[in-house]
Amino acid sequence: MKMNEQSTNKEAVDLSKVEKVLEKYKDVRGAVIPILQKTQAEYGFLPEPVIDYIAQSLNMSAEEIIGVTSFYAQFHLKPRGHHIIKVCCGTACHVKNAKALSSKVREKLKININETTEDKLFTFEEVSCVGACGIAPVVMIDEDVHGEISPDKLNDVLDDYKKLGV
Amino acid sequence: MKTIHLVIDDKPIIAPEGTNIFQASLDNGIYIPGLCYHPKLSQFGGCRLCMVEVTERRTGHRFACAHPVSEGMIVKVNTPKVIQYRKSVMEFLLAHHPLDCPTCDKAGECGLQDVTHELNLFPGRYKTVRMDAPMIRDNPLLELNRNRCILCGRCVKACKEIEGVGAIDFQNRGIKTVIGTAFDRPLECSFCGGCTAVCPTGAWQDRTLGFKGRPWEFNKTPTICPYCAVGCTVVLNTKMESVRRITSDDYLGINEGNLCVKGRFGHEFIHSPERIKTPLIRKNGELCPTSWDEALEYVAKRFQQIINEHGGTAIGGIGSEKCTNEDNYLFQKFCRAVLGTNNIDNMANMKSPALNGLIYESVINGMMLASMKEIEHANTLFFIGADMTEAHPVAGGMARKAIRLNNANLIIANERGVQFNSITKNDIRLKYALGSQIILINALIKVIIGEKLVDLKKVERSTNNFDKLRSLFNAFNVEEASKITGVTREAIRNAALLLTKPGNCCIVCGKDIEESPLGADTIRALMNLCALLPAYNGDAGSGKVSLFFSRSHNNSQGVNDMGVVPGFFPGYVNINETSNKEKVEKSWGVKFPDAIFKKDHENVIDLALNSKLKALYIMGENLIVNYPNGKKIKEACQKIDFIVVQDTFLTETAQLAEVVLPAATFAEKEGTFTNMGMTVQSLNKAIKPVGDAKPDWQIICSLAQKMGSHYSYVSPKDILTEIENISPMYAGINYDRLKRKEFHWASSVYNKNKSTKYTFNIVKPKSSEIKENKDFPFVLLTGASLNHQGTFSRHSKSLVSVASECFVEINKKDAQVLQINNGDKVTIESAQNKLTLKAKVTGKLSERTVFVSEDYEWVPVNILRDRVHTPVKIYKETV
Ligand code: SF4
Ligand code: SF4
Ligand code: SF4
Ligand code: FES
Ligand code: FES
Repeated sequence: MKMNEQSTNKEAVDLSKVEKVLEKYKDVRGAVIPILQKTQAEYGFLPEPVIDYIAQSLNMSAEEIIGVTSFYAQFHLKPRGHHIIKVCCGTACHVKNAKALSSKVREKLKININETTEDKLFTFEEVSCVGACGIAPVVMIDEDVHGEISPDKLNDVLDDYKKLGV
Repeated sequence: MKTIHLVIDDKPIIAPEGTNIFQASLDNGIYIPGLCYHPKLSQFGGCRLCMVEVTERRTGHRFACAHPVSEGMIVKVNTPKVIQYRKSVMEFLLAHHPLDCPTCDKAGECGLQDVTHELNLFPGRYKTVRMDAPMIRDNPLLELNRNRCILCGRCVKACKEIEGVGAIDFQNRGIKTVIGTAFDRPLECSFCGGCTAVCPTGAWQDRTLGFKGRPWEFNKTPTICPYCAVGCTVVLNTKMESVRRITSDDYLGINEGNLCVKGRFGHEFIHSPERIKTPLIRKNGELCPTSWDEALEYVAKRFQQIINEHGGTAIGGIGSEKCTNEDNYLFQKFCRAVLGTNNIDNMANMKSPALNGLIYESVINGMMLASMKEIEHANTLFFIGADMTEAHPVAGGMARKAIRLNNANLIIANERGVQFNSITKNDIRLKYALGSQIILINALIKVIIGEKLVDLKKVERSTNNFDKLRSLFNAFNVEEASKITGVTREAIRNAALLLTKPGNCCIVCGKDIEESPLGADTIRALMNLCALLPAYNGDAGSGKVSLFFSRSHNNSQGVNDMGVVPGFFPGYVNINETSNKEKVEKSWGVKFPDAIFKKDHENVIDLALNSKLKALYIMGENLIVNYPNGKKIKEACQKIDFIVVQDTFLTETAQLAEVVLPAATFAEKEGTFTNMGMTVQSLNKAIKPVGDAKPDWQIICSLAQKMGSHYSYVSPKDILTEIENISPMYAGINYDRLKRKEFHWASSVYNKNKSTKYTFNIVKPKSSEIKENKDFPFVLLTGASLNHQGTFSRHSKSLVSVASECFVEINKKDAQVLQINNGDKVTIESAQNKLTLKAKVTGKLSERTVFVSEDYEWVPVNILRDRVHTPVKIYKETV
């Protein structure tokens, strides 16, 4: 909670986008989640100064907002990459050695879970069952499902994305 | 309220409808283990420990804290099945717990430990993975050890619901859930310590304790907080004659275990190395330690000399807003009866001289009959000129309780924006132009009368002078008022609508009103407003009006009640009535010389300034810093030959004294304090006086002795008994009973004067004009601070460490024009003096005003002031 009104913005963030979102919801009570969703859609993630700004405008503390954003997997507090790699770690995939897929990502892209590559191309996440157990193990890249995938094949797929670039 | 009959563990119980089983058991002394439920917080149901067997139509298992009582219900708290369930819940809770009790300050008073012990638990069947997150020590007062946290949510709720801050919350989910701040930033909050108080484990800790004792070694002495006028009960934890920490007790006093940062952490001054431990006497210009005998002998001799040469009236006396009623009573008795002077006063009265009379009137009129606890039962809250968060924090918590439980409406009117966080749906803020408060109040009155928001016939019947008031308001124009005050018509109207709603209405009038040049008139207008409200006129089911007047210090009310003012004997007994004088003379066994009581008493400081005083006897008051006109007080003191100061520290004022007498602090003495709700509460002595210090009343007794008057008081009890006899207001107060239950004098006075009808005051709607001043274009406002209050907080290192800097607050726009940023050094200059402070840029202030707190004693803001709204100029210091 910032007791004083000035937040500690480290980098300057354009607040006009969140202002617009808040303007739209100014008469709606209890609209925290839609506000956060719309704001995230604008910025791609929820930067710290933006959270502080929302908190102040809604007369809540930043802690309460973070309580919400950190509970739901849909909200992101860090910038995300262009492509989101989701390695499924559900039961079926686990049995089929999903771990090796995660290791592949880690070693190839040099990032850990929930991190983003420096070039902002990839973000790596682990998820539980994506509902395609029949073709386990599964890796989703953005909306594309890659089934029965091996670490080597994953390597090639990632290379393809790399070639395409941003 | 409907009541429910049920049986818990074979005991027939009656509980109000809507109570949960947990609370019903608690109220009837039946223990159910539970670590997340807390009577003063909303229900959560997170720990899963409070499972009981419940038979309604069927028998089943329910969580006691989440299940309401019902007619005919049968509850069993300890069936084998229930116990088995509880044990397994505890096994889960302990599976992650570090079990580092030997190095945990909470051991011995830890809820988790207690439940483990009761259930006869062994370490558990699970293979445990101990978490080892690092201890979070990002602030000087509190530390958080997340490994010990059981995620009961109590701290989150205490912070949000009571303190209104929300500095901490749950973060993440599932196994990763923790308690913390957003982005793990350092904790930056009001440091009320409420989180530590409710935490059932060692997760939150009071860092000021720091292993200075185990909980079971402490003597726990409940007493009254020495800071503000709310009068919270604090529990002093002492070991070997030293105060090691302060805790709270949910079941004592008026504060339900809630404290603010000063009350909970501001105790280190008691053992500060800077305490004066022996009497000091000036020799060759230096204050040197001496014996009590020599010091008192000398004071007595000098006083006697002055009396002989110039008469007793050449001695002035200043009583203390911080000392007990007994100290103050004896002080005025000594001054009047032994020294023979009525030139006595206290700081509160000097700042707002009309207030005592107005408060007494409000009591007689039945507007001020409630104790502070009544705030919790409000349906409408109206704070005018009051900064609850900074000045009376725990009363702010009471207001939040009313908002949470009764859906209370809130109206805050102030000349500067004040922070008050709550969840109320109706939150009206009226920021009025400086000096326009009477117009604002009258505008509310006009709307109420004009729109007939209340039954005007009834008002007419139950009051005097209503016709006159009404005709006066015919010509009143709300539009015009809106222009002058800068408050929109709509806001004025909405506020009037809320005020006239049925239910209890609690009004707190703040210092900004009381000390303003139009203070007395404003309060009269406010009383008119109260008298209009349906709650005042006794509409059926409409609740009552309760007016409160802010007082600054723990005993600002008491020092006035005790008659340390020129106009009254103790209990507001008019000093100029012969019969009163005679009664007091008889009781004290003295004869007052005629010369000492004059019709219009001059202010003591003015007397000094006019060289009419030779000596000043000051008890527990740092006049030099606190008097709201620095230049004047300095000059006045320079004209005095002989100053005696009786205090706990060598304050700026004590440094000017010839003789300094070391006084005991609140922890070292007995006596009573009266809070701003007129509730008298008693202190309990926790430790022996430090060094050679003595309670103030004892010092006065010894001094009287040296001057040939024998005061035979053995303890404050004897003094209070005398007070009871001399002042009808205190009839019925009883020292021994006070130890169990507080005494509320307002109700007792009202009951004796009941039949008085309210007579409307005819107050012309004036506005105190703030003249444009070219050289000094800004206006300096001052006010209270949450973190500090005078000498005591200044010597409490924890408080200084959370708030080491007194800022000058500046409006955003002005700051922009003057190119001032947060933290820049800024000089404030008035015609009297100048002061350089760091800037804090804020949106709370109006343009052309700056704000500096007066409670950082080492920042003497009063040197700038010569009136309430002192014109100043500000400029940035170039490095
Ligand atoms: S000290 Fe008070 S304000 Fe600070 S986190 Fe704890 S409960 Fe909240
Ligand atoms: S820190 Fe204490 S009060 Fe807060 S959730 Fe954890 S155990 Fe409960
Ligand atoms: S300073 Fe006032 S609010 Fe704070 S604990 Fe003491 S009496 Fe209570
Ligand atoms: S477990 Fe991976 S898709 Fe179901
Ligand atoms: S006390 Fe009922 S669930 Fe914790």
